[in-house]
Amino acid sequence: MKLNFMVAPDFSPDRFAGWHMVNTLLQSRSGLQLHLLTPASAQEQSELLRRDAVDLIYANPFDAAHLIRDLGFRAFARPMGKPDEMVIATAAASPLKRLEDLRPGSRIAVTDNRDVKLIGLRLLEAADLTDKDLQWVLVETFQAGARLAIKGEVDAAFFLAEIYHTLSRITRSQLKILIESAIFDITHVLLAHQRVLSEVPAIMAALAGIGQQAADHEVLDALGIPKGFAVMQEEEAEFMVDLMDTLLD
Amino acid sequence: MHLPDMQHPPLAGNACECRLTYHDGTRRLVYCVDQEEPFPDGRLIVSRTNLGGFITHANEAFITMSGYTVEELIGAPHHILRHPEMPKAAFADLWTTIASGKKWHGYVKNLRKDGLFYWVYATVIPNVRAGVVVSYTSVRRKPSRRKINEMSDLYTKMLSQERAAQ
Repeated sequence: MKLNFMVAPDFSPDRFAGWHMVNTLLQSRSGLQLHLLTPASAQEQSELLRRDAVDLIYANPFDAAHLIRDLGFRAFARPMGKPDEMVIATAAASPLKRLEDLRPGSRIAVTDNRDVKLIGLRLLEAADLTDKDLQWVLVETFQAGARLAIKGEVDAAFFLAEIYHTLSRITRSQLKILIESAIFDITHVLLAHQRVLSEVPAIMAALAGIGQQAADHEVLDALGIPKGFAVMQEEEAEFMVDLMDTLLD
Repeated sequence: MHLPDMQHPPLAGNACECRLTYHDGTRRLVYCVDQEEPFPDGRLIVSRTNLGGFITHANEAFITMSGYTVEELIGAPHHILRHPEMPKAAFADLWTTIASGKKWHGYVKNLRKDGLFYWVYATVIPNVRAGVVVSYTSVRRKPSRRKINEMSDLYTKMLSQERAAQ
């Protein structure tokens, strides 16, 4: 039996090799055939899901709610010590010093990462700004958003925190953080479709085992998840989905 | 559950004193200090209660902002944070809304253990499992200063109406 394993398209490009390494390890240790799918965009991800072509998915917390509640996926694992946080940053030379300095009409660079935008919008409430108060500049990558902010073509840019902190030192030296979330409770999740639940124990055993052999650390480091994965109980996932629900409006 | 009276805040000689009566009829002496504890940037305050409103989960930000220990919070009624300047009508609306299975949003002035206060924008949702509401999750975000001022004025009016009606 071959399972399609999709990874949400919101990881840093330099983690790409890491996901292939994990996929290879999971196959060899679980005895299952896994076909890695790495959609390039949220639209491509949606299309694969619409075609019912996904058995396993490493999903962002925003999508997890829909996948669990509407599409019959079940959570079984999450990365350890790797909450999904976001950063709002501006140019180092910008007169903006704090979030509350952003004003209606500000131009914000944003990717199509819906969870990053959602959390960012919730943080902007403190500055009395809503979605419609801002001019959104859609960019392909967080790196592109950083370039626009540095050049002063936008007032600020939204980043997945993990990616912000892996930008080159020279790029980060030209930016300054206005705010960084510290929510801790929101993470990506590994989900399995109901039709493959019987395969989950083998996958989970293989996944939890990554890190126990010396060479595994190279794989986890390449993935940016050095502590590996932990079992996620169904109720833990439901709790996170409830939390995301409170952030929708 | 009867909450013990608050201890007089040690560093606040000018704390006002008030005896609150909660929806379950229990009463508690509380002290309020006219000093705001700022909501921490970038954080969410998260808690969960059972259907009776007793706290079953509190995240780190909740513990820090409330001033209580986790041991004091778990098992306590959520009204342990009730500030005397909050109108009863706001909480009546909250409980009516979530009891009907809907999401509730609102601005709340909370009372800390040390008598200081902090404002939040709260969302409370019923946790539905297999079609049944089993608990409630409350997530609090940082409100803007403009909304705090607006709601503070509104709650002052509501409170004086409630007192006049007593």
